Amino acid sequence: MNAALRLSLSSLRGHGRRFAGTFFAVFLGVAFLAGTLVMGDTLRAGFDTMFGEATEGTDAVVRSANVITTPGESQGVRAPVGTALVETIERVPGVAAAAPDIQGAGQLVGSDGRPVGGQGPPTLAGNWIGDPKLNAYRLAEGRAPSKSGEVVVNRGAAKKGRLKIGDTTVLRTPDPVRVTIVGLATFGGEDGMAQVTFTGMTRADAEKYLTAKPGEATGIRVRAGPGVGQEELVSALTPVLPKGVEAITGQESAQENTDMISSRFLTLFTTLLLVFSGIALLVATFSIHNTFAIVVAQRTRENALLRALGASRRQVTASTLAEASAVAVTASAAGIAGGTGIAAGLQALFPAIGFPFPEGGLVISGLSVLLPFCVGVVVCLGSALLPAARAGRTAPLAALRETAVDESGASRTRAAVGGGLAALSVGVTLTGVLLTPSLWLAGLGAVLALASFVVLGPVASSAAVRVLGAPLDRLRGVTGSLARRNALRSPGRTAATAGALMIGVAVVSLFTVFGASLKATMDRTVSHSFAGDVAVSTPSFGAGGSGLSPRLAPALARQPAVEHAVGLGRGVAEVDGEGRALTVTDPVTLGEVFDLGHVRGSLGGLGTDGIAITRQEAARRHLDTGDTTRLTFTDGRRVNFTVRAVYGRSELVGDYVITRAAWAPHRTQDADTLVAVAFEDGVSTADGKAVVRKVAERYGSPEVQTRDEYARSSAAGIDMMLTLVYALLALAVLIALLGIANTLTLAIHERTRELGLLRAVGQTRAQLRAMVRWESVLVAAFGTAGGLALGAFLGWVLVEASDGASDSSFAFALPPLRLAVVALVGLAAGALAGLRPARRAARLDVLRAIATE
Amino acid sequence: MTTATARPDAARVVDAVKVYGTGDTAVRALDGVSVGFPAGRFTAIMGPSGSGKSTLMHCAAGLDTLTSGSAYIGDTELGALDDRRLTLLRRDRIGFVFQAFNLIPTLTVAENIALPMDLAGTKGSRAWTDALVDVVGLRDRLHHRPSELSGGQQQRVAVARAFASEPDVVFADEPTGNLDSRSGQEVLGLLGRAVRRMDRTVVMVTHDPVAAAHADEVVFLADGRLVDRMENPTADKVLDRMKAFDGKGAPV
Repeated sequence: MNAALRLSLSSLRGHGRRFAGTFFAVFLGVAFLAGTLVMGDTLRAGFDTMFGEATEGTDAVVRSANVITTPGESQGVRAPVGTALVETIERVPGVAAAAPDIQGAGQLVGSDGRPVGGQGPPTLAGNWIGDPKLNAYRLAEGRAPSKSGEVVVNRGAAKKGRLKIGDTTVLRTPDPVRVTIVGLATFGGEDGMAQVTFTGMTRADAEKYLTAKPGEATGIRVRAGPGVGQEELVSALTPVLPKGVEAITGQESAQENTDMISSRFLTLFTTLLLVFSGIALLVATFSIHNTFAIVVAQRTRENALLRALGASRRQVTASTLAEASAVAVTASAAGIAGGTGIAAGLQALFPAIGFPFPEGGLVISGLSVLLPFCVGVVVCLGSALLPAARAGRTAPLAALRETAVDESGASRTRAAVGGGLAALSVGVTLTGVLLTPSLWLAGLGAVLALASFVVLGPVASSAAVRVLGAPLDRLRGVTGSLARRNALRSPGRTAATAGALMIGVAVVSLFTVFGASLKATMDRTVSHSFAGDVAVSTPSFGAGGSGLSPRLAPALARQPAVEHAVGLGRGVAEVDGEGRALTVTDPVTLGEVFDLGHVRGSLGGLGTDGIAITRQEAARRHLDTGDTTRLTFTDGRRVNFTVRAVYGRSELVGDYVITRAAWAPHRTQDADTLVAVAFEDGVSTADGKAVVRKVAERYGSPEVQTRDEYARSSAAGIDMMLTLVYALLALAVLIALLGIANTLTLAIHERTRELGLLRAVGQTRAQLRAMVRWESVLVAAFGTAGGLALGAFLGWVLVEASDGASDSSFAFALPPLRLAVVALVGLAAGALAGLRPARRAARLDVLRAIATE
Repeated sequence: MTTATARPDAARVVDAVKVYGTGDTAVRALDGVSVGFPAGRFTAIMGPSGSGKSTLMHCAAGLDTLTSGSAYIGDTELGALDDRRLTLLRRDRIGFVFQAFNLIPTLTVAENIALPMDLAGTKGSRAWTDALVDVVGLRDRLHHRPSELSGGQQQRVAVARAFASEPDVVFADEPTGNLDSRSGQEVLGLLGRAVRRMDRTVVMVTHDPVAAAHADEVVFLADGRLVDRMENPTADKVLDRMKAFDGKGAPV
């Protein structure tokens, strides 16, 4: 074995504890990364199997070829196909069976009166296909619906709504339909297609409630006869299909469904997790670098002796790097094992919390092992590189010097470089935010800001610790003063230790600030553009359930207490070849309940060929009142519309408004997303709200909210996201905490004699513990303060850049309470990190400490 | 100075036994030592390496515990005290000067001197501290850090710190071991002056006959036993006495 390797191995054996922190930092980061990858693969494979099984018997799907996709939607809207086509298809040679597939939105109401689902995944309803091979759902219990009002629901939905066979409940389509559950179904062997709920009804019911008119279906499922392949079937079908209708194989259809789930849910999910494991590993970099820097500093004499005895620079560097490799490899390997364990645990946990995790073993691909392993090793070795190089540079003379304590300070160059970076980042950011709004420039500025914080850290740490620690002298006397000065001893080390926490806190506060700004934006949106008294709405987060009955608004308008009630429905069309969402409503009274800003032209006379557009869209398309524009609907029809009004504000109303009469020929299943109600003068909000609620009860009891409640609930999804983000960031903060603890432990080791002296001259154990704890809190306070400042700045940049770069305007908000909580958590983390090192320091044997050479 | 016995002992050990290790590897560092260190006197503990002189000092000062026997500071029996009370006793009633590394590098000279009082949260006597600073001659260095002082200056600060809280007894463990002879003389002179002019008590462990000659009395230890005492020592007398240990390994 070569000398360098032998040295590093013996040193690892001797001082294994020192690397415990490094080990855990790498371990946690790698485990998170590997867990994410394994879980992503497993989920994807599970969904593949599930869809494969569920659609096994479907060999081809016939559907409209026209699809209109609006921005921000992964799945386009298709026109229906005529059910009459089924007979034509059945006559095609090679076809064994064909069945219309009618799909729409249908939200069940649970036994407690609350709607089932609707906050995320879609709530679907459709016809129950009699041919079990063509039906994606299998009957698990009970029977198929045979007469109007009977339904089969998927088992997951039944469980969530506490519904059982024989129960009678309401299905919102969105008009309430009384239904009796006669059977429970499974999808691909699971309780459901993830969290999607499904209600299967008779074909007649489905046509009645889910389509605009009878004789239409979303698609037609076709089964091939014996010996006929899927491709063959599709080629046989294609000639008999009318124009605008296409046939695809069952496999393609299954793949589309899987892709949809992947893009809607899995990709988002795994990307989010990968970003956070990246942050965790970035934080880990600081901790690892710091550990090695300290270890190398402590070993100066030893390394110098080696150099004096004839070891080359390379040998000394190699010995440190070998140590780092050993830690990196073990920690990464352990991390992969841990990550696989996490994935297995989640697989077991998901069904328990009502999320049907597709069955099947864990899918561990080469990539999900190799990537985290390489990342772990690279992060660990990369962080140890500089300290190792420094170890190699040790002068042989250093062996003769007294101290072996790292007192690395802040050089003038560092201050200059950091200052330059900071100035550059501010310049670039301000340009990107204020002068020429660009997310790229703002992003570059943000990265530069981060870099300048890291470079300036040691320069700032002295000043910051002095300021932050000033009250300690008075509060805690000599104990506090000693803690403060210990934190000041090695500005470079303090900065690196605090740097890990700083990144964590910065990301937390960035999200906090951005979340608060989004909420403020929504609040402003509602208060600016909602002029009604109460709103009846569906959950704003996710698919929104089945929406609101289009008959609700007219029913409300008939109430004596109500002056105006306007429902906003949703339609899609291509405007000049681009998919756009249309708002289908009653434009005449629209202005009474929504603030549309300045209106040119008149919303009163849109008729069936008039359209109203926002100023922004009008400008973009060079349209003005009196001009015509062509809309293409999903049914393939092209209609010319005349712009009759141009309005200023679009937040709630959308960019294009047409009348219900204009939409009617092209409609599918109708639903409103929002009904705005204005009361007659003299009607109190409480009275009016009661009236509206009473009417709404007849339409499936959607939520009735005052303006403020509506604004608040619009922002509820943001809080949910923030909670998730906080949970994920806890990992980064934990790694930072380990870093602080590790640095302190190493520092205490360095100061053994000093601590011994303090104890000898009368420092009590309690005082010693307090001293170490306060040092930890001070370092954490520095990191937290830096993180808060950086996070708030980056949050501002993000908000302003989004404001400048997108059409909708963003509000910037600093939530003082939440940020105070973040600060407190940072300080508490510091106190927590100091606990163990403090206890260890206090256990120190005085005599041995002062005798230590 | 034969009147010394009239005064009570500032510190003493009775039948002190200290055993390190167990079984075959057990070493009796102290083997039944009884000795008193009278108040107002400068006592030196001498003996060859491994004679147990440092162990005796550590046990007498409450830094280490005896295997059997008892140690007293004034009338306080140290064996009866828990770690906290022992710490407070060291803080309030004992001063220390070690061979090296006596000062906290982050504190200034003035802060180092005041450290025991600051730890106790008391102010101490301002006049006394002031007088001390003048005696050790460091008035112009009060706001310097230890790293800016020479080794001799650092030890003088350590001496000032040891006396600052007016302790019953100051223990010095080879205080001149790391110094050149001139600086060593200064430090020893300081210790001697503190005893004679300010009526303090000093117990010093040393292996240097010249250092021991500054004391009022020298006690000799060999193989963990008290073997001799010498009043009014001189360097030559001590050297002769030490030579007697050499080769024989046992007292006369």
